[in-house]
Amino acid sequence: MLLAKTLTSLTFKLALIAIATFGVIVSVIFSYVYLSTTAYVRNRSDRAIVTESSSLRDAYEKSGRDALIDIIRQRTSDKSFTGHVYALADPSLTLLGGNLAKWPSEPSRPSGWTEFRAAPLPNAADPPLVRAILETFPSGDRLLVGRDISDLDSFTAQIKLAVISGVALIFLLAMMASILVTRRTVARIEQINATSRAIMQTGLDKRIPLRGTHDEWDRVAENLNLMLERIETLMGEVKQVSDNVAHDLRTPLTRMRGRLEKAYHGARNSDADQLLIGDTIADLDAVLRIFSSITRIAQIETQARKDAFRNVNLVEIACEVVELYDAAAEQDGTRLSVTGAREALVTGDRDLIFDAIANLVDNAIKHGRGGGKVVVAIENGDGGPLISIADDGPGIPPDEREHVFKRFYRLEQSRYTPGNGLGLSLVAAVARLHGARIEMLDNAPGLQFNLRFAPPAP
Amino acid sequence: MTGSHRRILVVEDDPETAGQLLEQLTSSGYQVDLASTGDEALSRGATCDYAVITIDRMLPDIDGIAVMRQLRDDGIAAPFLIISALGEVDDRVRGLRAGGDDYLVKPFSFLELLARLEALGRRSETIAKETILRVGDLAIDLISRTASRRGKEILLLPREFQLLEYLARNEGHVVSRAMLLQHVWDLHFDPSTNIIDVYVGRLRRKVDDQQAYPLIHTVRGVGYCLRAPG
Repeated sequence: MLLAKTLTSLTFKLALIAIATFGVIVSVIFSYVYLSTTAYVRNRSDRAIVTESSSLRDAYEKSGRDALIDIIRQRTSDKSFTGHVYALADPSLTLLGGNLAKWPSEPSRPSGWTEFRAAPLPNAADPPLVRAILETFPSGDRLLVGRDISDLDSFTAQIKLAVISGVALIFLLAMMASILVTRRTVARIEQINATSRAIMQTGLDKRIPLRGTHDEWDRVAENLNLMLERIETLMGEVKQVSDNVAHDLRTPLTRMRGRLEKAYHGARNSDADQLLIGDTIADLDAVLRIFSSITRIAQIETQARKDAFRNVNLVEIACEVVELYDAAAEQDGTRLSVTGAREALVTGDRDLIFDAIANLVDNAIKHGRGGGKVVVAIENGDGGPLISIADDGPGIPPDEREHVFKRFYRLEQSRYTPGNGLGLSLVAAVARLHGARIEMLDNAPGLQFNLRFAPPAP
Repeated sequence: MTGSHRRILVVEDDPETAGQLLEQLTSSGYQVDLASTGDEALSRGATCDYAVITIDRMLPDIDGIAVMRQLRDDGIAAPFLIISALGEVDDRVRGLRAGGDDYLVKPFSFLELLARLEALGRRSETIAKETILRVGDLAIDLISRTASRRGKEILLLPREFQLLEYLARNEGHVVSRAMLLQHVWDLHFDPSTNIIDVYVGRLRRKVDDQQAYPLIHTVRGVGYCLRAPG
């Protein structure tokens, strides 16, 4: 199973291509080494034969046939000339001297190179292979000078064997190595695949096992595991949100149902009915508001609105928000003011930024100290524009700060003030869309919300 | 409004909603024609002169926006009120950009619809040229941007003046909170708090406190109305 996957895997195919390319190059290099070595060796022996042949010819031409026969006799009896082959024959190819038993039958040509198997020389088991040069003198006498090249032949044969087996060995090793490497790769991928299948079948709680080798595979597995964790968290949040939605919607829906049911079974009474219908419409409106807040946050989170982004002045928007909430602050006895820069450009959606700031100001007024103050400050920081909304109310305990952005999250102390717990989720969604960072600081006393925007696009 | 301009075309594919609208609008004094498909809307819209056409975004055959464009291309000048269940700001803006005059999100209160229809109908017949708007003993000077009652100036913030001007331009008619947000603050969302009520409350104190009679009236379930008694 694993072997089949190994052999069909892409890694293995790539390895095969690499091996083939490498193999061709190695074969060419080795062939060149083989050919040039044998050519060199053969060349040297040929040159020696030619030299010997021409010195004998000189002797024949200078001193005649008998002198040459003498020289040949001397040479053949000399130990240092072992392996040298000589033959002198008259025109009828009758041997006059040399160490051959008979004139080699095949080379009937008058001159040039020849190779033949001679009758076994004394002290030699196999019929030796002789390479010789032929010459015919003007008198018709023929001279053959050569050497036993059996050794040379077996030397080149050995080189050939070494070269071929070397190439074969390299191929074999490369193949084995690539199968092993591919197998390892395929095994890791298979592990990831198996985990993915398990996740699809059973659930998000599975993780890809790590080998602790800290190699790139472990890093891939680590990142995938982190991704799975993030997805699991998000899924958990979605479930939490839908539970909360269900809870927050069920409460008014139950109220409405009970009210209508009671009216349905009771007698008609126009005053009571009017009151009941009015309450029901108010409850319905609350339900619809929750509903549209959720879809609005969801829509902001899909990032679809980025097309409508343009440069807007944060200060201008903040002033409009403050103006809108001016009356509400006045009613509450809160002093609401704007300070800081006169212009701070950000790239974004005016309505959404307005909505986010409005939510923060609304929260600050509602949850701040009655008769306290709320300050909206804008400054152009190094990293980009910053807007802060600070109150001097009770603040939020540090360990609860992280949770306030969850949908429907409400602090115990604010459970009974109006609001549906979606405001800060909306602020968080708007901030995410704009790439802005949210910070919550202790204003001692009170809470300071910071929105750090990125500098505007040029 | 003239007789012919109480005639409106309602393009709505859900029969129950269409029936409710027909009933309520008729009892409010409108003559109502119904169209349940885009094709029907095109043929009716092109043949009759309507004060307002309300159009649903999601029709069974043609997109409401396409119907509206087609009618505009055919030279129909009647204002369009787009009614849609696609409530988000993007859809709203897209609808208005495509030539819609106003936008209403489903579900809506009938009073809200009525307020918007009235405003749209008025817009098509009056382009006010006056420089001073008068409602009872209230005078709003649009040039100096000041307001006074019985000659005594009322000190208003710029936004409060805009709010009062908008109410005065719609004298005797109900304007909803959403309409105020849209026209006075240029905001296309519902801040889901009572912020408008608080704001109008402050304006009311400035305009109506210690006067012979109140001008700013709360209309339960919808919004506000500026009118002089009698």
